[in-house]
Amino acid sequence: MDVRLEAINKSFGAVQVLKDIELVFPDRKFVTLLGPSGCGKTTLLRMIAGLETITSGVIKFGDQVVNRLAPRDRNIAMVFQSYALYPQMTVRQNLSYGLRVRGTPKAEQDAQVARVARVLEIDHLLERKPAQLSGGQRQRVALGRAMVRKPDIFLMDEPLSNLDAKLRVTMRAELRRFHLDLGATTVYVTHDQLEAMTMSDLIAVMHGGVVQQFGTPADVYDRPANLFVAGFIGSPPMNFLEGEIAANAGAPAFFSPGIRLALPHLAGRLAPDQRVMLGVRPQAAALAPAGGAATVRGRVWVVELLGSEKLVDVELGDKRRFTVQVRADSVVGVEEEVGIRLDPETVHIFDMDSGNAVRSEG
Amino acid sequence: MIRERLGPIVLRLALYASLTAITFLVCFPLIWALTTSLKPKAEIFAVPPTLWPQAITLENYAALLSGKSQYFQAEGQAAIGTSPAKFFMRWFANSAIVTFGSTLISITVATLAAYSLTRFRYWGQRFVPYFSLLGYMIPSIIFVFPLFLMMVRIGLTDSLWSLILGYVCVTLPFCMWLMWAFMRSIPIEIEEAALIDGASRLQVFSQVVLPSALPGIIAAGIFSMIVSWNDYLFGRVFMNSLDNLTLTVGVMLFFEGTHVDWGLLMAASVLMTVPMALVFAALQRHLVAGFGAGAVKG
Repeated sequence: MDVRLEAINKSFGAVQVLKDIELVFPDRKFVTLLGPSGCGKTTLLRMIAGLETITSGVIKFGDQVVNRLAPRDRNIAMVFQSYALYPQMTVRQNLSYGLRVRGTPKAEQDAQVARVARVLEIDHLLERKPAQLSGGQRQRVALGRAMVRKPDIFLMDEPLSNLDAKLRVTMRAELRRFHLDLGATTVYVTHDQLEAMTMSDLIAVMHGGVVQQFGTPADVYDRPANLFVAGFIGSPPMNFLEGEIAANAGAPAFFSPGIRLALPHLAGRLAPDQRVMLGVRPQAAALAPAGGAATVRGRVWVVELLGSEKLVDVELGDKRRFTVQVRADSVVGVEEEVGIRLDPETVHIFDMDSGNAVRSEG
Repeated sequence: MIRERLGPIVLRLALYASLTAITFLVCFPLIWALTTSLKPKAEIFAVPPTLWPQAITLENYAALLSGKSQYFQAEGQAAIGTSPAKFFMRWFANSAIVTFGSTLISITVATLAAYSLTRFRYWGQRFVPYFSLLGYMIPSIIFVFPLFLMMVRIGLTDSLWSLILGYVCVTLPFCMWLMWAFMRSIPIEIEEAALIDGASRLQVFSQVVLPSALPGIIAAGIFSMIVSWNDYLFGRVFMNSLDNLTLTVGVMLFFEGTHVDWGLLMAASVLMTVPMALVFAALQRHLVAGFGAGAVKG
């Protein structure tokens, strides 16, 4: 079932936390609301769940407006960050609670609980209380409780944030797999861009109560709509250099102390003297061979080995830093003078005033 | 070397000895009451006094439980008017009714109030819990006359209802504060999870919130029971007919008149402590958990 958010606003008193949210989550897709804390993503999820009132706007499940529908009438399931298991009930009772209050026959309850417990490999824990479970097991019970009713829409509020790093990686793959098996629309909230990138079909990047960009993971990574998205997505983060546009025989060029980069593909889209930000992913820059042509020169400040790659932090002439990702076997020494080569096609240009990306087409 | 090894042992023995002595000292009135209640009349004032009765008798208990006035006649006393023993079971029942009633009202109201104070937003929601403690700082003697006048006006004096309501006035503020502190520790997410699972507000409250709040409810209940059961002041002021007295006030009547029957009095005192001791023993574990949760603010 698809979820439509139309002109959604939310205020707590005088504070407006969501501004004109327009999103469509297609049926059976895994959609992530991604953003830093306080961006309104959890509030939006809670509004979809019916736990939070809507100040203005319309939420539709399919064609049905659900604004005033109680949570229990929405056929949704939600996994909470704190898991929110019922502490005094056993795992079995936790799993079957939703079926029990809806008056499902006992035999079917048992069958459903058994099915979910088998899938999640928690059959042996059914008689335990939540306090007797590890974090990972609680997580599975919380998932199981959501799965047992076969909901139309699956809501998850940072379900992995309380797990240790290793378990998180495993659960990421499992969650993705569950989503495919369940065939429900999933709305997932996280502040972890890696989770968003690896699991989602679509990502809505949020900041300050506004959707900054809504697109596929590849979209938001390769074609960030604005400075915020560019800086938030990607690890290590994108390098930013402030500068101006210099018109050079009709073709614009990025100009900043020590740097001059012609941007022929952006001809006609940039004005002379326009203040812009140049964004370059560390993966898109390369160290120039000794004596070779380079866009900008600097001195190696620090080198970090990540295993298969190295991050080279270069200090440019005016103390600005610039990170370049190179292969682990590259030989680079600290304090060494290096040149950095940029490809105009892989850099991003953002207008300083609006923060929006400037692109060659459309 | 022996000295080194003996040192801690001697210290330990001294510690146990002094603890035993203190415990005995503290418990002595209780022990004395218990043994006195088991002594035949002749032995109560025996010189030298006996700590343990030489001939154990249950006649005092029998008299209280059966309320038979023949007992006094058999002892050669004239049963003038009414003997307190005759009313003992009645008073016991009164105390039980009043205690149970006020506790039930107190914890019901306190639990619902605490739920509302922690879950809904309205004016006063923040400071009401703190102010509720203020009421408990004022001694009951200050409440008792205004309350009495109110009882007179609504015609409840000399009825068990007056005591039930009076005790609710005394215990409710603290019970509510305790439940409020407890309710705040119950994460709201489990209620939201239940709402999404399909439960109604009422189901959420009864099936998810109440079981989680049980330790707090038990703590509040014990507190309320102790206050109601032990109260003397309200019982003395609000009640006047013999039939309607509670135990604490009734037992004092054993002193009245020309003759004090110490055996009966002690048996009555012992019986009076039994219900609270039982409640305590049964619920002690929860009591600690309950007060613990309330102790830490936020």
